Amino acid sequence: MSAVAAKPQAGGAMNPTAMAVGVVLLIIILGACYYVSPNLGLTALIGVIVGGVLIGFGTHFVPVGGAPAAMGQAPGIATGVAMLAAGAGLAGLFGGAWAAPLGTTVATITGGIGGGLMMAITCMMVNFVYVYGMGIPAASGKVLHDPITGDSQAEFKSQGTEGHGLPFVSFVGGVIGGILAGAGGTLIYLALLDLYKATFPTLMSATHAQVLPVAVSVAGMFAVAMFLVNAVLTAYNITGTIEGPHDPKFKRWPRAIVASAVASALCGFVAILIVAI
Amino acid sequence: MENIVFGIGITALTGALATVAGSAEDTESNIGSQGDPNSQVQLAPQMGFLHRIFNKAVAGEPPAYGLWCALGAGLAWAFMAMQVNAILAIVLGCILAVFVQGVYATTAYLGRTASLAKFGQPVYVDIIKSMTTVTMAHAFIAIFCTVALCQLINGALGHPFPLPLLALIWGIALGAAGSATGNPYYGKERQYQNQKFGAGVPISASGNIVRYAEAGERNSIDNGFFTHKIGGSASGICFGLIVFLEIWRTILFERIYAGWGAIAVGVLMILVFTVIDRYIEVWARKNYGPYTAAKEADA
Repeated sequence: MSAVAAKPQAGGAMNPTAMAVGVVLLIIILGACYYVSPNLGLTALIGVIVGGVLIGFGTHFVPVGGAPAAMGQAPGIATGVAMLAAGAGLAGLFGGAWAAPLGTTVATITGGIGGGLMMAITCMMVNFVYVYGMGIPAASGKVLHDPITGDSQAEFKSQGTEGHGLPFVSFVGGVIGGILAGAGGTLIYLALLDLYKATFPTLMSATHAQVLPVAVSVAGMFAVAMFLVNAVLTAYNITGTIEGPHDPKFKRWPRAIVASAVASALCGFVAILIVAI
Repeated sequence: MENIVFGIGITALTGALATVAGSAEDTESNIGSQGDPNSQVQLAPQMGFLHRIFNKAVAGEPPAYGLWCALGAGLAWAFMAMQVNAILAIVLGCILAVFVQGVYATTAYLGRTASLAKFGQPVYVDIIKSMTTVTMAHAFIAIFCTVALCQLINGALGHPFPLPLLALIWGIALGAAGSATGNPYYGKERQYQNQKFGAGVPISASGNIVRYAEAGERNSIDNGFFTHKIGGSASGICFGLIVFLEIWRTILFERIYAGWGAIAVGVLMILVFTVIDRYIEVWARKNYGPYTAAKEADA
């Protein structure tokens, strides 16, 4: 089929074969990890995959308008998807890593709240600049009424634009995205930290206290790197801009979940191999 | 008790440093047209509008600042390992990082502008001479403040991450907060000052940026001066609030109920910001009113 004859799919169609290949790849990587490190390694890899999936799913909620939003031509935050999600998620990772001694549950939730708080402040300041700095009210270009507040949107779009600012549903989406991304990043960090804390003392012939700074640094670097892998992957899935959970592009999330799981599994497997071989 | 008072003092200092960093970051990126509004600076010559705006977009602001802050912090860390005084080490590390920023800015301007040669856009040597140093000065303030607050978090508050990793994280967050808050003000309010106030830029006007000032052609230092007042301040407040509140809730409330206190305060703060945001949205709808009648818009 030529490119001209191909039906436009808006990049949103699911490809069952690709999804099945992704799931098979995931199982193969899990199997390889079980072969290399059946206990500690596999537990860490599952933590990394869950964290990666949370980041991939959470990034879909973040309302990002890219360059058109910077001119008030489209709703959302005027920056890149991956960059904003990374900013929020890493702010969450900062808090989560600090709370690591308090246990996995508390640290993960702390990381999530840190990411959510970053997004809440950023989204509020975005609307502040639009309203008080530029005199422009928030309006969605994708729905006639805000799904949460029921506010009508169409008449608040200025002429020749797709909308502007952050309607309430986008604000809520941003906060949810920040929470999921922050929790995901922290989970990856904690999973790898546990693995490195247990394996580094034997590997480096040193005491637990001596290897702790190295374990923290290596786990932190891997967490940041895997965060960017998942955020960028999702940015491709939503092709640049998204308004939030009410945007039709949001329905593409199952594809990103599979992709994030496979990418996280592969990256996590490499992170495990440095101590397992 | 002493620990908590000390922690609050350090938290206040980090918040102040973050505010200055956010403000300087946004102004630096606006002078260099580094954020999303850069698309219009790049587009304008292609639409026949030649200009004298600096155009140094190396990457998005978050990864660029992640790199520069991590570089400054890594070098500062190395100097501190050589027993250099911490303040001097941070200053030296940031100076070296700023030189890297200057190299990127110069090559980005030359490369990006040279790619527009077929549309007749000249490469102005005087722009490189006058603008690069101004962006470097602002970048130094932003990088120094970020690395200094990371040193406080690491050294005084005891965060487990090493200094370069903290600087990478907060550098990316700085770029994210600064570009999110500051970009619309530069992109809409300054580049399209010839469009109607209180409305978005019509898509048909894309590329027709304002190129003339009160006297002669507009340059990027004018843009930095204009956007600093609202865009820069808002970015500073945004990043300052993020850093301050994140550390404040941890320092004061993490000991309550084994970490759940800090979580509860975090949730409460998210709710407070949600209410403020909703108030701003409703206020705008009531005071500015719709652009068209509801029925007409639905049609």
